[in-house]
Amino acid sequence: MSQILRRVAVAIILLLVVNPTVIAADASDEQESEIDVVGKATNHDYFEIPFGKIYLPRILLADGQWYFYSSTNSAVESGEFVLGEEGLVRADGVPVRLDMSITSHLIYLWFGLLLTFFITIWAGKRYRHGVGSKTEPKGAWQNTFEVLFVFIRDDIAKEFIPHGKHEKYVPYLYSIFMLIAFLNLFGLLPWGAAATANLTVTAILAGITFALTQLAGTKDYWAHVFMFPGVPGWSRFILTPVEFLGLFTKPFALAIRLFANMLSGKIMIVSILGLIFIFSDLFGAAIGVGSGVFWVLLTAALYFLKALVALIQAYVFTLLSAVFIGMAAEEHHHHDESSVAQTKEVELQ
Amino acid sequence: MGFLAAGLGAGIIALGAGIGIGMIGKSATESIARQPEAAGDIRGAMLLTAVFIEGVALIGAIVCLLLALGVGQ
Repeated sequence: MSQILRRVAVAIILLLVVNPTVIAADASDEQESEIDVVGKATNHDYFEIPFGKIYLPRILLADGQWYFYSSTNSAVESGEFVLGEEGLVRADGVPVRLDMSITSHLIYLWFGLLLTFFITIWAGKRYRHGVGSKTEPKGAWQNTFEVLFVFIRDDIAKEFIPHGKHEKYVPYLYSIFMLIAFLNLFGLLPWGAAATANLTVTAILAGITFALTQLAGTKDYWAHVFMFPGVPGWSRFILTPVEFLGLFTKPFALAIRLFANMLSGKIMIVSILGLIFIFSDLFGAAIGVGSGVFWVLLTAALYFLKALVALIQAYVFTLLSAVFIGMAAEEHHHHDESSVAQTKEVELQ
Repeated sequence: MGFLAAGLGAGIIALGAGIGIGMIGKSATESIARQPEAAGDIRGAMLLTAVFIEGVALIGAIVCLLLALGVGQ
């Protein structure tokens, strides 16, 4: 484990050394007095570190040609791109067709993926050597791993996916749980940002769940979508579109839920801290600073709440993924129920 | 006008979600009191339902956020 950590550290240091655009907090940013509330949670072309910013490379496709720059500034300095209202535009007015730039959220996503990957591989190796499988699991890390894994397997996969099929989905459910939990918790770090506060990230994750759900679909599942059994023929004109729409609204809600939760948490914290400045603008500095004690305490309480929400949202995403996959993978032996959702409810009781 | 709409919308969302989650909590605690041995299952069902309500509320919250930020004007 320590060897892996050392390798990761060396990789990060190399990355920092190679990238020449590690710029300490530049003077132009010091002047902005307005608090950019939403900007704290959104994606940027720089990676915030204590007391500075690391500008990240830009990879752009405009007019069939790829452009590589080490940062947004160097793209502007090269004279080929100008900074427009919507970001970079090529100097002759040709818009950027594809922006594959490395952004702060992408970096956090990579961190999350690496952590999930290493922890799982490391634990898997231990189990293969017999630690945990033949004897008791050893050490705090492996115990934590086992608690989480058994929880995902027994309380989520086994509970909601029909028996015999659930084993196949445990790896996916476990990795998505770990990934989302890590990404959410990164948002709590100082200077950190939650990559899950980005609709693209959550939409991709929900898209994977959507694809798995359709792949898991049995004949009964598709019958319930297109030819609802046991209802009068004319009502199928209403039911089929609704059911078909339902295929897409489920992953859509999944993506929006995670995104909105993580975004709102960050915005709430920054807004409440911003009240200090609003109060000192309105009633003078003394009241602003005095009330600051209260706001900071409130923020501290919210931070605990956010740590809880980070884990709950990871759990909820995994749970709903399992529920959707389970609904699709279910075989119906009796056709008297009125909907797939109701069977689920019956099972829950 | 956008701010007014966002403020009113956020209030109504909180109202609706509050009523919904309150009703879930009420019936869940009642069922657990009636049948304490089924507490685990009831908790799972409660969380699942609460999450659906939360999802709807958050979609509303996002709309309010977009209104407040003046997107689409």
